[in-house]
Amino acid sequence: MRHMVKVLALVLFVTLLSSVGSAEDTIRVGLSAPITGNYAEFGENFKYAVQMAVDEINAQGGLLGKQIEVVVMDSKGDPKEAATIAQKFVQDKSIVAEIGDFTSTCCLAAAPIYERYGMVQLSPTSSHPDFAPSGEYMFGIVGTQDAEGPFNVKYIAQDYLGLKSVAVIYINNDWGHVTKDRFVKAADENGLKVTIEQSFLEGERDYSAILTKIRDTNPEGIYIAAMYNEAALICRQIKKMGWDVKLLAPSSVFSAKLLELGGDAVEGLVTNTFFALNDPDPRVQAFIAEFRKRAGRDPNLHAACAYDSMMILADAIRRAGTTDRAAIRDALAETKDFPGITGSITFTEVGDVVRKYKVMVVENGQWAIKRDYTRD
Amino acid sequence: MAWFKKHWFVSTTFAAIILLVFPLLVDNDYYQRVAITVLLYMVLATSLNIINGYSGQFNIGHAAFYCVGAYVAAILATRYHLSFWVLLPISGAAASLASCFLGLPTLRLKGIFLAMCTLGFSEIVRLTALNWISLTRGPMGIPGIPFPEVFGVPLKYNWQFYYVILGLAALAIFVCHRVVHSRIGRAWIAIREDELAARSMGVPTFLYKLLNLAFGTFWAGVAGCFYAFFSSYVSPDSFTLDEGFSILAMVLVGGQGTLLGPIIGAFFLTVLPEAFRFVAEYRLVIFGLAILVTMHVRPQGIAGSTTLSMRYREAQKDDVASDIETGGIAS
Amino acid sequence: MLLQQLVNGLAQGAIYALMAIGFAMIMGVLGLVTFVHGEVIMVGAFAGFYAITFLHAGVFFALAAGFAASWLLGIVIDATCYRPFRDAPHEILLISTIGMSILLKSLAQVTLGTEQKLVPDLVGEGFIMIGDVRILHIQLFVLAVVTAICIALQLVLYKTKVGLALRALSMDKEAAALHGVHVNRTARLGNCIGCALGGLAGVLLGSYYNAVHPIMGASAGLKAFIASVLGGLTSIPGAVVGGLLLGVFENFAVAFSSSSYRDIVAFIILILVLLFKPSGIFGRKGIEKI
Repeated sequence: MRHMVKVLALVLFVTLLSSVGSAEDTIRVGLSAPITGNYAEFGENFKYAVQMAVDEINAQGGLLGKQIEVVVMDSKGDPKEAATIAQKFVQDKSIVAEIGDFTSTCCLAAAPIYERYGMVQLSPTSSHPDFAPSGEYMFGIVGTQDAEGPFNVKYIAQDYLGLKSVAVIYINNDWGHVTKDRFVKAADENGLKVTIEQSFLEGERDYSAILTKIRDTNPEGIYIAAMYNEAALICRQIKKMGWDVKLLAPSSVFSAKLLELGGDAVEGLVTNTFFALNDPDPRVQAFIAEFRKRAGRDPNLHAACAYDSMMILADAIRRAGTTDRAAIRDALAETKDFPGITGSITFTEVGDVVRKYKVMVVENGQWAIKRDYTRD
Repeated sequence: MAWFKKHWFVSTTFAAIILLVFPLLVDNDYYQRVAITVLLYMVLATSLNIINGYSGQFNIGHAAFYCVGAYVAAILATRYHLSFWVLLPISGAAASLASCFLGLPTLRLKGIFLAMCTLGFSEIVRLTALNWISLTRGPMGIPGIPFPEVFGVPLKYNWQFYYVILGLAALAIFVCHRVVHSRIGRAWIAIREDELAARSMGVPTFLYKLLNLAFGTFWAGVAGCFYAFFSSYVSPDSFTLDEGFSILAMVLVGGQGTLLGPIIGAFFLTVLPEAFRFVAEYRLVIFGLAILVTMHVRPQGIAGSTTLSMRYREAQKDDVASDIETGGIAS
Repeated sequence: MLLQQLVNGLAQGAIYALMAIGFAMIMGVLGLVTFVHGEVIMVGAFAGFYAITFLHAGVFFALAAGFAASWLLGIVIDATCYRPFRDAPHEILLISTIGMSILLKSLAQVTLGTEQKLVPDLVGEGFIMIGDVRILHIQLFVLAVVTAICIALQLVLYKTKVGLALRALSMDKEAAALHGVHVNRTARLGNCIGCALGGLAGVLLGSYYNAVHPIMGASAGLKAFIASVLGGLTSIPGAVVGGLLLGVFENFAVAFSSSSYRDIVAFIILILVLLFKPSGIFGRKGIEKI
């Protein structure tokens, strides 16, 4: 009984402590990301990148004369948590906008709350075509599968690789499904034959059974709709099978980690991106150098998008000239040709970005830029 | 604990008043949301406690029934526009039906074997939701579940949902209290203490165990319906094994076999991770530690009675020492 | 294609078998199910990874590292989750292992980093061809290691006093105690052996798939669980058969239907086995039903 009272008191005390606001002269931005759980490595990248952007802005005098502070909350990749975090953020009057989440299911789950209370949710990585249109306050900057699927089909499979047939292996989550759907739809529209589609569950590490079955259908190429972790393993298993097939994948695989985890098994893999480590642009190189220093590893597309998200948000706040949430939203929607490190960003009517890509190939263990459509 | 029992009327009334005026005292949507979550898990933990604590069966796949309730509500609401109030009992019934489907073949099994079946069932339900795309939209989930309506007025504010779940929780606990103290409840306790003896005294144990399972899972289904309408979105990744384990932890940490136990367990294990959000990376570490520490310091649970646990120990010593009665490792 | 699926299935199954053996051993001496075996496997896998990456260990040293790390973890788990609850209601032990599993998984993410890590090929990338079927050296290696372990285990169980004590304990705890078996010490030993075997399995897993990840424990534990149920929960020969069967089944199921339904079918089979033959393929019948 006494124990219980003590424990309850402690819990209440801690809860109250953690909700104490901070000083009046900071602008606070919320960040919802998977810091723990199955997607923790991706959430960490968000944290580093956003903090980098914040530090940079603060070093140059901050925003509207105030310093910015980012409030990080762990969504664990769980849609329920993302919704709870959304509630917490919108409740806090000092938070002006939110960046996040990593997965589309989290973004979609939190969207009704941000929309109801009128706070911007800017997702660096949600590529679900239903996300941005789901509300006026929803924005995504990574581009959607509506653009990526056809690009993968036309410019990579047909144009660059000259394939007539392709098989699809995809991860059984919402992103995987949407990616696969858009790719297959574009393939049908462009006369590219899809020999078979097979999915695998998250957390699955053995693809040999699926790959053996796919190999039996004799495709010229295999489209791997997965994150770089799984993609690297899939490629390794393809190599171990002694199967000489063309490898292609969406931009989710593009990162230095793919090269590290895949080794020479990913040699020749073709993908698309709008952020490359060997981009000659000096701002990109500065970003990469600083990220390396802080995180001890190379940034990937997600990190670059998170960085740009913060920068774009800051730009919108500057243009709005106020910390009013609705004004920030309007200024954000009007963003045109914002020079991000991931390219020039303009929001469509629904709050999406139509991306143009570069074609990247793994050559001699490095990423090489083969075609560049981003400057078109 | 004893103090509460002696002054139960005062403390219950006091708690009731606080609960009723909570949204007025705390005009903070986030805290209201936490309160709603706590109440929701109270219903879930209570429903599991009916099964685990009162008839001695061991269900560790409770997420399955929560999932069934939520999806039934989501599908019927988005496709056929059934109202929230109609769907509450329907979701409950669906979950009960699912549990009968599981229970009919498996209730004959002893302890740990039944537990494993429930675990398998939990995953089957989740994987079905994940793969039956034409029905459930698979991993994309079902968005756009409309707000519940009261006489045509949509409920969309947290404080409104709060009163709904408060009502549901009160109803659930009240009904459970009545059932547990009725003949049926006594039969359940008899089965829990010694199933063989109960049967030899004429209690139709199989029927009662099935009833117990159906009754407990009914409330899990109801909770699922509320969850669907509160979040406006359901997806399979909310119903993993971990979710079932969390509910189980709430029951055990709070105290199995008592009505107060799951209430306290739900409160403790929901508020704790929220309170520790500021040490984001260590949140789950602390959660795991909390479970371990509670089991060591107070194994009967925070609200469990010491006599109950001692009775367990006695029963264990007389009973066969091992739950797994097989031929051993070398057979 | 089917023959290739069979070969892959056997190799995968061998690793499952190793995980299941450890699991069966632990359940045999505990008398209860544990939910922390997945994390034990993960710890072993990481120990092997660090041995290979930072100590430039060869194959056998890496395996030894995994063995030792998980053995030590077994001691800790026994002290915190098993021994204090030897006579307590079953649920308490179960929930303690669940708590421990959450703790270890999160601790691993915080201390070891959240990223997937690359494990280089332990025995190179070579292979042999028999007709159309390709058998990798690593597959042969895995089969060899698991066979060796089984033989070693049989020797320990049947030719040593301590093995006798373990067998006795797993058959009937009270009778064993009456015959002078030191219950706590023997149970701890059984647990440590089971955990160490899990650690070995972890190193093999990491090496076979070239990857370790702090969250790899969940699926590994589940596979170990299913495999040992197939084999009769506590029977070690059963665990071997169960593991191999599970591996082969998973591969065949993908060959004949979609991979998404594979796991559902696995769980249905789990329930069916529990319903109709809970003693598993090999186990002898005990009191499973009332």
